[in-house]
Amino acid sequence: MMVSQAEVMSDSRDDNEECPVVDIGRLEKRYSGWSIFGRKPIDALRGVDLQAGGGDVFGLLGPNGAGKTTLIKVLLGVVKPTSGTAKLFGKPVESVEARRRVGYLPESLRIDRHHTARSALHYYGRLSGMETQVIKRRTDELLDIVGLGNRDRESVSRFSKGMYQRLGLAQALMHDPDLLILDEPTDGLDPVGRNEVRRVIETLRDQGKTIFLNSHILQEVEMVCTRVAILSKGKIRGIGTVRELSQRLASEIVVFELGVPEELDGTDLMQRAASQLKVEKDHLTWRPIAAGVIDFTASLPGRDQLDQMVDLLRAEGVSILRLEKKQPSLEELFMQLVDDSAGDNAEEQP
Amino acid sequence: MIPYLAVIGDSFRAAYASRVLWIAFVAIWILLAALAPIGFRQEYTTDFRSQDFYNGTRLKAMLAQGTVDESLVDQPLGRIASALPEELSRQLRRVGEGDEVRIFYRVFADALNACLDDESWYSKEAWSDTLQFRELRELDALEGPLEESIRRRRARLRIEAALPGVFEARSSQSIRLRYAGNDFPARFATDKSQFLTLVNQYVLPVIIQWLMGFVLVFLGILVTASMIPEMLQPGSLHLLLSKPVSRSLLLISKFFGGCTFVLLCVTQLVVGLFFIAWLRLDIWNPRLLWCIPVSVFLFAVFYSVSTLAGLIWRSSILAIGITCIFGSLCLVVGVIGGLFDSFVTRPDGVRNLQLAGQTLIGSTRGGGLSYWDEQEKVWSEIVEGNPLGMDRIIPPVALNESTVFTARIRGGRFNPFGSGASDLLVMKSESNWVGEPSLRLPTSTTDIFLSGDQLFALNAGELSAASVEEVLAEVSERSEVEEATDEGTNQLGENDENGQGSGAKGWLQKLSTMMGGVTEGFSTVLPKNIALTPPRSLIVDPEGSYLVLYTRGRLIRFVPSNDADKLWSIESEKLVEGEVAKKSWLAISGDVILLVREDLPILAFDSKTLESRASLDMPDKLSPLLLEGMPNGRGFLFVASDGLVRRIQIKEGENDLQLLQPFGPDEIECILVDHKSDQAYIVHNVDRIDTYDLTEMKLMKRRSPSLSSWRFLDAYVISPLRFIVPQTGELGETIEAIISGESAKTILDGPDAGEIVRYQLLRPITSCAMFILVMLITSCYYFSTRDF
Repeated sequence: MMVSQAEVMSDSRDDNEECPVVDIGRLEKRYSGWSIFGRKPIDALRGVDLQAGGGDVFGLLGPNGAGKTTLIKVLLGVVKPTSGTAKLFGKPVESVEARRRVGYLPESLRIDRHHTARSALHYYGRLSGMETQVIKRRTDELLDIVGLGNRDRESVSRFSKGMYQRLGLAQALMHDPDLLILDEPTDGLDPVGRNEVRRVIETLRDQGKTIFLNSHILQEVEMVCTRVAILSKGKIRGIGTVRELSQRLASEIVVFELGVPEELDGTDLMQRAASQLKVEKDHLTWRPIAAGVIDFTASLPGRDQLDQMVDLLRAEGVSILRLEKKQPSLEELFMQLVDDSAGDNAEEQP
Repeated sequence: MIPYLAVIGDSFRAAYASRVLWIAFVAIWILLAALAPIGFRQEYTTDFRSQDFYNGTRLKAMLAQGTVDESLVDQPLGRIASALPEELSRQLRRVGEGDEVRIFYRVFADALNACLDDESWYSKEAWSDTLQFRELRELDALEGPLEESIRRRRARLRIEAALPGVFEARSSQSIRLRYAGNDFPARFATDKSQFLTLVNQYVLPVIIQWLMGFVLVFLGILVTASMIPEMLQPGSLHLLLSKPVSRSLLLISKFFGGCTFVLLCVTQLVVGLFFIAWLRLDIWNPRLLWCIPVSVFLFAVFYSVSTLAGLIWRSSILAIGITCIFGSLCLVVGVIGGLFDSFVTRPDGVRNLQLAGQTLIGSTRGGGLSYWDEQEKVWSEIVEGNPLGMDRIIPPVALNESTVFTARIRGGRFNPFGSGASDLLVMKSESNWVGEPSLRLPTSTTDIFLSGDQLFALNAGELSAASVEEVLAEVSERSEVEEATDEGTNQLGENDENGQGSGAKGWLQKLSTMMGGVTEGFSTVLPKNIALTPPRSLIVDPEGSYLVLYTRGRLIRFVPSNDADKLWSIESEKLVEGEVAKKSWLAISGDVILLVREDLPILAFDSKTLESRASLDMPDKLSPLLLEGMPNGRGFLFVASDGLVRRIQIKEGENDLQLLQPFGPDEIECILVDHKSDQAYIVHNVDRIDTYDLTEMKLMKRRSPSLSSWRFLDAYVISPLRFIVPQTGELGETIEAIISGESAKTILDGPDAGEIVRYQLLRPITSCAMFILVMLITSCYYFSTRDF
């Protein structure tokens, strides 16, 4: 795939073999906003540091307005950073050499209505500097991969959202890039389509490609990403594998199966635990699972609190039928990290 | 380059996918289909039309004389008059009796056309004394029954010979337009080459200007205005910018891609017109294809505005709106510039210059007369010019350092006859050049010359002369009469009672004056069979020993004779090949006479024998504007339509003309060669004067008048504004110049002939190119530095 392109780039790849594919250091981006009351600048990125190496499937997570899109725009050279560095393959992101090795699937792809899938791929291939013969061969391969092989000569004006996404993925892969930046790649796809995209990503990962994935679907990120960065209010709140992130979390999640006396219910138990252990009520949940038996989950900051919780339960006459320490899900990690950043609001308006 | 070519190629595909493009295509095909059946055929020029009459008053007077004068019964005039319809004869009889009768040209045309069918009025003996044109002699020599068209042509020429000085010179062949095999009712009294010039210089440029300058540009902007805002949509722009392309080049590619819409439409239209002109009108004009890039260039001016507006506001509606406002601005600036040209700059242009001693006197395009005030460095008005005025100033001639002759023809700007006869004005330095009336000039006088002790007046059909002594005496006489009667109301150059005296002079004098004949004090100079209808040119020897005339293909040298009638006689004559209807210029230097005609080679003749000496092809795309002879046989000063002055020399000892490189200033208005001082006064850039020493061809003195407030405004506000705002309207002139292959065109601006006006080629192209460049650089800078 993309032999000629790859050959052309071999030298530069060798030169930058040791460089991270994505290297962002202390990146800041301030948009100058204006209103009738005067200037009102907005800090979209506030000192972001991030590296991604070859073969990484890097998930970028964050709530709306966290700065994900700005970060991607910076990586694509669309937006110029206010300060800090952003490099791809060791070269500044705005350089043509860096962008030659990048494939991008935008969130809401727009392809001119006069195109068919085939002509669109030809156009974007030419934009990437590919030769016509290579484009032709690549087009056949990619249309089959994304499932548009039988609709390649149909006007894109008749395409559904999902078909657009497939075509967008194909164009991003057209020039066999070393770094793929996928913005909501499964948006609009049916489950089968999502599964296909996941398989494509896994295949690319196995080929050593670096994939930068921006998605709201946390389960999907959890499934395919080797590393994750959680961005909130322009800052990286956590970065690493899901396991690394969960290990870094201050709290442990402990699930109890409790036999509860008749005069005591889960709510009473939760209030007493919260007051004695000085734990937020939000970190404690319960649900009945049988008569006199409840499932009680607590997010506890440390081993001492777990011991105190056991002591409290025993003191209340509760039988501990089962105790299990649980690995937090990505969603739980995400929520916790985002919640922890809530206090940064004051910094948002410099 | 691959990515950028891909962007341009994609624009072609986008254009082809546009419904508007296909609607435009269909409209173009319908237009071309409608034009395709047009054709033409050539035929002899036979029938008279109203436009053929150069001197209608003379026609009326001559026919009236032929009607009432019994002595002319067997003369051509009487025979033609007798063949006219009864109603017209009755009217002419009334004219002959002194009544004012208005007769329309079409009545004369119909009557004379009827004469073409029945030649009973013709008599070989009667016509033996008339002017015999070469074509008429050839047709008279034909024997046996003639074709109808040839017979009618011969009849027309016989009528023209009987009525000299009445008709415009017309080509022998006319063009009749056809549509789908049917003749158009109207004829073009032009030969094929003139018809081709007409089509190339006026018809095709007008079609292309209107269709491309307005319709396609506006349509193009409507269609392409959305291209840039659509490119800026996030899903499209971010993908494009993620590719290994330069932002600036991407935008420029999009810009050129946007021009494809107009390119596709214009190409079809121009190629279609090219084939119609070639296959149907026999006009092979590949220059027409240059209209494709010029039209796209014109569109690019507006599209560059649309591009920048689309980039800044990301809205196609705003882009269209801003472009329309810009178009309106161009139009307004163009109109204001045109108004300043017409009413401020152009009327000040010095059209003729005369030197009286040390004083330069110039007549202007606006009908004014001024002298150069050396102390104040300004042109001081003698007669105030008026851009909207209809008066004409006869080019002044200097008798000596204190006396200049001229005349002001009321209403004579476009009509050679004006509102009647005008007085010759004698201007004297001691009275601050204020003119005093002298002899009445013959009607329709266009030029006056001084030759020896005589003043020559050239009018529509006559060259007449009066003695200078009598001219000056008349001034004194009139002054005395005025003082005696204390009237003092006869203003300079004004006529009394339509230029006629009281009825006491009788109708014959009246008729004579109406015919453009001599007035009191003047006498005819040339034999009566010499036609002086334009185009013509005349040089008069200042010493009064000869004059040379070129008219209707004849170059004739006249010398004074001692006959009782004092008519000058022909000393030598030369027939010159070429179209007789072309405008011509004559000049003499040493023993060489130079004849320059439009689109024809420059010819040199011996000044005495009129034998051909040399010829020189007119440089490509140049039309003659002025010709002046230099003293001592040093050659000629020739001004061409590029506004530059060149020397023409005859190589020493060889019969070979040589056109030297231009020298001196540009934008030449007129030249005065002073033989006494061997200097040339070159008027350029409206009213500046450069004086050149002709022996060393060196600049001696430069006179630049201080500007009036309006001229100042034009020079420092309007002109810069016209440079900054692209003059898209003037690109129409570029298209005209390209299609016609000429650098100038002739416009009607005077009674003698049209004035040749240079095409503005460099200014609109430079102005538009600079504007496009500035807009693209601004757009690229904005696109490259802006976050999207």
